[in-house]
Amino acid sequence: MSTGDPTQAATGSGHPTQAATGSGDPAFAAEATVEVAELSVWFGPKVALSELSCSFGPGVTGLLGPNGAGKTTLMRAMTGLLGPKSGSVRVLGQDPRRSREVQRSLALVPEDEAVPPALTARQLVRYVADLHGVAARMAVERCLEEVDLIDVADRRVGGFSKGMRQRAKVAAALVADPTVLVLDEPLNGTDPVQRAHLIALFRRLGAQGRTVIVSSHVLHEVERLAERQIVLLNGRLAAAGGHRAIRDTMADRPRRVLVRTPQARQLAASLLGIDAVSGVTVDDGSLVVSSSRAGEVAVALPRLARDLATRLEEVRPLDDSLESLFRELVR
Amino acid sequence: MDAPSAFIADGLTKTFPGGTTALDGLSVAVPRGAVGLVGANGAGKTTLFRLLLGLIRPTSGRVEVCGAAVATDPIGVRRRLGFMPEHDCLPPDQTAADLVATFGELSGLPPRAARQRASDVLDLVGLDEARFRSMDGFSTGMRQRTKLAQAIVADPELVLLDEPTAGLDPMGREEMLALVDRLGTFGISVVLATHLLDDVQSVCDHVVMIDGGRLVLDGPTHKLLERAGTVRLDVGGRSEELDRALSGRGFTTAVLDDGTAEVTADGQGIDDVLDIVRDAVAELGLPLHSLSTGYASLDEVFLLKASGRADD
Amino acid sequence: MTDAVSAVGAVYDRGYRPYDGIRRGRAGTVAALYVASIRRALGIRRSWRQKVFPWVLLAIVTVPAVVNVGIGYVTRDTPAEGFSFITYREYVGVSSALLLFVALTAPDVVCPDRRHRVLSLIFARPLVGHDYVLAKVGAVTTIVFGFSILPQIVLFVGQMLVSDGALDYLRDNAEVLWQVPVAAGLLAVYYAAIGVAVASLTSRRIVGGVALLALALVPSVITGAILGSDDATGAVAVGNLLALPLHLRDVVFLGHVDPDGPLGGVAGAGLMAAAVYTAVLVAAVTILAVRYREPDA
Repeated sequence: MSTGDPTQAATGSGHPTQAATGSGDPAFAAEATVEVAELSVWFGPKVALSELSCSFGPGVTGLLGPNGAGKTTLMRAMTGLLGPKSGSVRVLGQDPRRSREVQRSLALVPEDEAVPPALTARQLVRYVADLHGVAARMAVERCLEEVDLIDVADRRVGGFSKGMRQRAKVAAALVADPTVLVLDEPLNGTDPVQRAHLIALFRRLGAQGRTVIVSSHVLHEVERLAERQIVLLNGRLAAAGGHRAIRDTMADRPRRVLVRTPQARQLAASLLGIDAVSGVTVDDGSLVVSSSRAGEVAVALPRLARDLATRLEEVRPLDDSLESLFRELVR
Repeated sequence: MDAPSAFIADGLTKTFPGGTTALDGLSVAVPRGAVGLVGANGAGKTTLFRLLLGLIRPTSGRVEVCGAAVATDPIGVRRRLGFMPEHDCLPPDQTAADLVATFGELSGLPPRAARQRASDVLDLVGLDEARFRSMDGFSTGMRQRTKLAQAIVADPELVLLDEPTAGLDPMGREEMLALVDRLGTFGISVVLATHLLDDVQSVCDHVVMIDGGRLVLDGPTHKLLERAGTVRLDVGGRSEELDRALSGRGFTTAVLDDGTAEVTADGQGIDDVLDIVRDAVAELGLPLHSLSTGYASLDEVFLLKASGRADD
Repeated sequence: MTDAVSAVGAVYDRGYRPYDGIRRGRAGTVAALYVASIRRALGIRRSWRQKVFPWVLLAIVTVPAVVNVGIGYVTRDTPAEGFSFITYREYVGVSSALLLFVALTAPDVVCPDRRHRVLSLIFARPLVGHDYVLAKVGAVTTIVFGFSILPQIVLFVGQMLVSDGALDYLRDNAEVLWQVPVAAGLLAVYYAAIGVAVASLTSRRIVGGVALLALALVPSVITGAILGSDDATGAVAVGNLLALPLHLRDVVFLGHVDPDGPLGGVAGAGLMAAAVYTAVLVAAVTILAVRYREPDA
């Protein structure tokens, strides 16, 4: 059973909820492993999380939000590093602060945490393995291979670049074979090749049935990584689900598509004849068509272009990305 | 604007006393405008910046910035440069307005002009009343803006930005990239060092990629994204129907992981391919959500290049 | 409002204005750094807390001047007239206030640049390593010089005013007018150079200050121990780094080393003192040249 069915979505605060048919609120995953119920956390007058309810399940879920939205607090609450002021967090049914068994199945890879520079990569992973009582030698080797550090496993971590340090931390997090893996900016500092490897790795882990939660500000990356997103704003749940589905629920905001074609003006005029189109902007050799019923426009477009015998050189949706969704949510 | 190049490196090598070679025979001529300098941390970007600023000397080779040779005239070079370092570099007990004005003076502006420019530039980066507060309470976004402000206060020809979006949340990143974009309209060339190809794609018209101190890629962004003879389209998951319609006519349609279709035609010009595909889609009544003849992203380009390298 | 007035309108570009004005050369940059460093050390444009120490210490050091003038005033028509609590020569001295002041100021002028990694920003400007050194040492020299000179001015002007004839006083004590600045200058350069050199070795102000105090006091204690008693004399006294400039001060005021001091009676004492003074300055400058060596900073 896949979680976070991308055809479902929900948004909080004033936006219309649930678009497509589906079983249940997109804020909650099927077969949830991490359950957050009415969670509130505050530090003095500052409210970090406010009655947050959502859950995470197998697969890769993105955790997004502006600075100060509560992501870090939520991650720490999920891994038992801090306790709720009210409400609860349950991982695999138990309280992560109390159950040692659950703590063994939980791994957090924070962004800035320093690793002891004098250790080699292998020693670091071995050390964490010992902490968790993982005896198998092979586990260490396998984790180092997964993150592509096997060739430099005996070099000191202090001499590593940021990207390599990141990967070392991920290897250490993997060695205890965690069911739930929480990662804060895991791709920071990595080059495109390393990034691709790590993205593939996380997706593999998700496909294996682990619950992988990734928090990042680089939305392009999260888009490639996670099928389901949880978006926080001001300590509350702002949106949940697949990003395209979320976008679909915001029907009051039209979608815009860029079309590059030689006879832009004529094509624009034709498009305006279609009911679903709410507006067109024309430039030299290109146009942008706005519509709340993008599907209808998509069917009409090639037909109108063919009838005008104008070549479609490019068709690009302008707000299909997670980034544009985020912009809309935060506005 | 005398020299057409922002900077030129010729066989540039830098080996540090510990034995690490940060740059290895780098030769590249980087044009004016917005240039992305891409590489992972440790690939040599910061070393290259320091060489450009004349802060360190190359082990061999030479480098020229805005037409001035760094080896013979480092001062002249720095007069034309602005620099925004990646690391924290703002004293906590000073106000942003004071810092930017002081650095204006240090760049050679007379005190009154420095104060005026500081004010203008802080307006530009969007630091309003916060500029009169001391910087220890500043958020990452405010810090990055202040760092950018001091880099452009003396109206440089070329500005070196080292990971300007580091630590910023999505809105902050968007605002910073928009600012960087605007610099071009002011006649200021930019070299943007980053490990994020997406940033480069949105702002830079030229890309230089280095890895392990060596040049990997160098070219205009749009050219890098170009791709001969292939059309990629999203027809709402009905790629098989398209395949059936086109296969009889010498077209191969591959269906990718995300459901999009990639159509190639042997021997036919891309224009014809586009027209035939369009007509096929129209006839079948398929929805055309997207269509393009290039790579989707620089990330994809790099990955293909990298795996191509791995094969040889 | 007539139609003609509202019929015209224009938008003046609110965007970026390029700078076409004067750009000062390296000298301007050094001057700007010099002034900025002085401002920082004296707490100008900073909070009241930063201003307290320097100005309080200055006040403390001015006390003897005020006392002297006060005594002079009170005894002006009495037989005790002419009594001096402190001479100009003695006043150009190394008081604990001065030492504390340098230990506070010199680190404050260079350590934060290193600690907060501002050096990267500074060296991206059109200046060279020794420009930076010049500006910083210059700034500390100026401040220490001012610190020494101001109380002297208070003393001189005060004495002038309480004496029987101001102009007579001026004529009689004219040589003080060049002796004090020269001696104070020698002192200021010395302490500034050592202070900035030691401070440049660390990024923490407290460490720099303590190291400086140690450098001043330890040789002083050791030479004192070697000499044995307060009245003993010997060439080894030239190793007392703290008091070294005082010998030069005595040469300025008296033409030779103080006969009552620890170098009294030692042959060639004046020359020895000058030699060690120079050696110390050279060492300080060398440390600074290495610390701010650039390129390769």
